[in-house]
Amino acid sequence: MHLPIRLTKESREPIYHQIENQIKALISSGQLKTGSPLPSIRALSKDLETSVITIRRAYQDLEYQGFIKTTQGKGTFVAEIEDATKEKVKVDAVYKALEAAIETALRHDYTPIEVEQIFHTIIANYKNKEE
Amino acid sequence: MAPSIECKNVRVENEDFALGPVSLSFEPGTISALVGKNGTGKSTFFKLLMNLVSPTEGDITINGQSILGENEAWKQRISYQPQTLKGMDSFTGKELKKLISNYYPTWDEDLFTKMINQFGIPLSKPYGKLSQGVQKQLNLALTIPRDTEVLLLDEPTAHMDIPTKQILMNILVEWMERGDKIMLIASHEIEDIRKLADYLVLFQEGKIVGNYVKEELAAQYKQYWLEHPLSSQPLPGEIARNGDRVIISNHPEKTESFLLTEKQRWLNAEVLDLEEIITIVLNHERKGEPI
Repeated sequence: MHLPIRLTKESREPIYHQIENQIKALISSGQLKTGSPLPSIRALSKDLETSVITIRRAYQDLEYQGFIKTTQGKGTFVAEIEDATKEKVKVDAVYKALEAAIETALRHDYTPIEVEQIFHTIIANYKNKEE
Repeated sequence: MAPSIECKNVRVENEDFALGPVSLSFEPGTISALVGKNGTGKSTFFKLLMNLVSPTEGDITINGQSILGENEAWKQRISYQPQTLKGMDSFTGKELKKLISNYYPTWDEDLFTKMINQFGIPLSKPYGKLSQGVQKQLNLALTIPRDTEVLLLDEPTAHMDIPTKQILMNILVEWMERGDKIMLIASHEIEDIRKLADYLVLFQEGKIVGNYVKEELAAQYKQYWLEHPLSSQPLPGEIARNGDRVIISNHPEKTESFLLTEKQRWLNAEVLDLEEIITIVLNHERKGEPI
């Protein structure tokens, strides 16, 4: 089983964290349903070209937070999670993406007010498309 | 019991070669790639682990038992695939399998059959009549199914065609999932290292440069494209320079904080490819420069 995970080596976000967040997103968005199997630690390590040490850490965090469960001898599966948790993952992901965009703008010496204007322009475009 | 290998201060020295002191341990469930130029001691290290070469100093233990003593029970828990095998030319694959499988109580006939089928190896041809690549495949099919706790592979994918390499990689990954296995691979193939290794043990002229978690080593090196040309003064963390606007650092944090205080901006920062990093580390050590 192959997971659509993309690692960004340039990112400041540690690799185990990237893996963790992307699996959370796959689960919260319903792309990975309750009970579906996850790749073994070794198989994911080969796919992502990352050591098992890092994958293990991501899986442990996910298990601790209740997103996945491991059954001895059977493998790792998506756990049943509450809608509130799913919602929180979505909200977090969107906030994070917007924060990253704002940071990029600030790094290019835009002021917060200018960033706001850019945001309004972009959102206006999307609104137009919807209509 | 989960296996473990420990080398304490191991040193070997003869007229033409010296290796060590090596202090390394390997944990169950992990694959370590031994990486270094030709003749830097990787194969000798394997021979030490098999007690085919005796250390001048130090001790090696497998599951806490020294391999240097009289008791040779450890030999059934470890298998080793050397780069080349001698004295096998007149035997067929079938005969070799019979010899080897008898020695290992853990021999897995199903895995052997699977490997023979996947590789497509003729078992009734004498070993000496097989091509180099097929000989390698047969060696692997005679080694991996021993299913010992520890597996040492010396350049397993050398002379192997691309599809066969993929088959082997999948076999090795599946093999690791059988439980608490330790695999050590000496390899020059960057693909093996990327896909299989958890740890990289870098060898340089009979010394161990370091033992790194793969992505931790990768994160240590960054290349920066700077906005303005640099003065000739080396920057903190800088280990190499390309023209006057591109530098490579092995302490990205130090370099970045220096650039920030100098108000020197970078247009791009990029993590280096594993192959480039290995080249840098191995070349630097040769010149005796600290990295």
